[in-house]
Amino acid sequence: MTQRKRLSNSQTPSQSKRRSDSLEEDDGDMPFTQPSSSQVQRGMEKFTNSQVDQKVAEVLQYILVKDQKKIPVRRADLVRNILKDYRNVYPEIIRRVVQTLDQVFGFKLVEIDTKNHLYILINKLELSEATAPLNAPSNPKMGLLFVILSVIFMKRGVVKESLIWNTLKKLRVDPGEKHALFGDVKKLVTDEFVRQRYLEFVRVPHTEPIEYEFRWGQRAEVEVSKAKILEFMGQLHEQEPQTWSQQYKEAHAPPGASQPSTSQQR
Amino acid sequence: MRKSKGGGEDPSRHNGSTGRRRGDRNSEGDHDGFGSGSLQDDDNDPATRREIRSKYRDLINSVQQNREDMLSPSNNKLTEVLEEANKLFKDVRQPREAALDAQLLVVATDLGKEKASQLFAEGSSFNPAAFAVHLLSFMGLNRLENGDNEEENGEGYLPNDAWDRVARRAECCFRTAPTFHYMMGSFHAEPPPPKQRIERQRKLKKMEESHQEATEKEVERILGYLKSYYQDDPTTPISYYEFVIDPNSFSRTVENMFHASFLIRDGLARMYLDDDKLPCIAPVEEEMEGAASTSRHQCVTSISMKTWRVSQFYL
Repeated sequence: MTQRKRLSNSQTPSQSKRRSDSLEEDDGDMPFTQPSSSQVQRGMEKFTNSQVDQKVAEVLQYILVKDQKKIPVRRADLVRNILKDYRNVYPEIIRRVVQTLDQVFGFKLVEIDTKNHLYILINKLELSEATAPLNAPSNPKMGLLFVILSVIFMKRGVVKESLIWNTLKKLRVDPGEKHALFGDVKKLVTDEFVRQRYLEFVRVPHTEPIEYEFRWGQRAEVEVSKAKILEFMGQLHEQEPQTWSQQYKEAHAPPGASQPSTSQQR
Repeated sequence: MRKSKGGGEDPSRHNGSTGRRRGDRNSEGDHDGFGSGSLQDDDNDPATRREIRSKYRDLINSVQQNREDMLSPSNNKLTEVLEEANKLFKDVRQPREAALDAQLLVVATDLGKEKASQLFAEGSSFNPAAFAVHLLSFMGLNRLENGDNEEENGEGYLPNDAWDRVARRAECCFRTAPTFHYMMGSFHAEPPPPKQRIERQRKLKKMEESHQEATEKEVERILGYLKSYYQDDPTTPISYYEFVIDPNSFSRTVENMFHASFLIRDGLARMYLDDDKLPCIAPVEEEMEGAASTSRHQCVTSISMKTWRVSQFYL
C-alpha cells in the first residue's frame, strides 16, 4: 500500500516567486495521497471506533489551536503529526471532523488551496451590525486589514504597495515608524497578514526598482464579504453601493464566479 | 528610440484634461545620435550628458512619487511631464540617455493607462485619499476649530479607540471563526510560588546560620569560662546563678542563661542541686558523658528583672 507518486505534491523550485507561499516539503516522508475507499474500509477494520474518535478529537484540537493564530492547516502536517498510522482512514476522520465542527462549533472547514491542501476555519454564521456584541473586545488589527482589503477591492483587485502605504499614512499609520497600536506595520501587513492568507504580497515582474503589489489572499476570498465592504463604502461616502457598478457586480456575483485569479485587471 | 511625430499616428483624445498631446517633433535629420565622429562639443561633454540623465531621473522620480497626484483628473501634470521629456529628448545622443527616456516612457504609459481606465470605467471612481478622509471622520477625528482647511489636511486629534471603531465595523464583514482561549490561561512548567518560597527559605536559612554562628561562638566562650572556673577549684560547686548573672546587665544575664542552656542540652555541662538545694552548674567530664546522657531531665529556668535586681545586691 505504499504510495510512491511524488508528482502531485512536490513543487519545482521555479514555481512560485510569491512571497506568500513558502511551502515545506514533507521532510522525507512519503507525500500523502488520498487513500481509496477500499483502503479506508480495510483501515477502519484495524481500529476500534473509539480509537478513531480519539484521533478525530486530536485533529480537532490541532485545527482549533492553529486557528488561534489564523494560520492555515496543512494536510501534510495533519497526516504526519497527528494521523500517523491512521493515514489510511484519513477521509473518514476528516468526515467526522467536519461534522463535529459544523454541529458543535458552527464552523466550516474550507480548503483554500486545493493544490497544497491548506485548510482554514470560518464561521457558519454571519455577523451583522445588529447582532455584534457591543462590549466584546475587538482586535484593532482587523480594522487595519479591513482598510487594506477595502482599498484593494475598490481598486478592482490589485494595487501597488505604494498606494497602500500612502493611504495608511493618511490614517496616521506609517510603515516606516513604530505604531503605538500595530508596532511594526510593514511586518504586520506584509508578513503576518500574508501568512494568514488574508493578503497576497507579490512581486511585479520586470520592475526596477523592485515593486510589489497587494491582492486579496485566499482566506479573505472566503472569509470576507465584498458586498458588506461595499455597503460600508456607501455609508462612508454617502453614496449608494450600486453607483460603483463594477464592484457591485463583482460583490453580488454568484458564488464560484469570483475565484482568485492571476490578473483581475482589464 | 525616437518618439513618433504628433498627429497621424497618435489619435489625440480630446478629452479635455486627460488628453495627451505629444509635442510636435521635427526629426532632426538623419544624424545618428550614438556617439560617432564629427559631433559638436556638447554631444561629447560628459557634464552635459550627466545633466540630461539626471533630469530624466528627476522626471521619473517625480512621476513615481506623485503618482496619485498625477492620476487625479483635475490636472494636466502627466502631459506636462511628457512635454518636458520631449524637450529633453532633443538632446539625447547616447544609449544611456535613451534608455532612461524609455524607462520614463514605461512609467508614464502605465500612469496613462490607469488614467484612461478611470475615464472609461462605468460607475463612480474610487479615490483612496477621499476614502481616508471619510474614514478619519468615522474614527472620530476631532477636528481643530481653525476653519475648514484642517478638514482637508486630516489634522486633528484621533481618539484612542479610533481603530477599535473600525475593527468593530469590520467584524461584520468578516466570517471569522472565533478562537478559544483557556479562561485561566495555561500553566507554567515551573510554578512560581515554590520558587518564592525556596528563595525566602534560603534567605531565612542564611539569617539563621549567621545567628547560629554567633550563638555557637558565645556558647563556646561560656563553656570556656565554665571549664576554667571548674579547673581553678574542682571541689567547690559553681553556683548557677553566680555563673549566669551579670550584675551590670539584665539582658546579658538572660543571654548567659540562654547560652548555658545549650551547654546543658548538648551534654557539655550539667546542672544539679547542692546540699542547700541551690542549682549549680559544672562541666561534664568527657568520661562521664555516656552516663550523663542516660539520665537527662528537662527544666525551665527563668529570671525576672526583679529577681535580678535583688541578686545584684548580693553578688
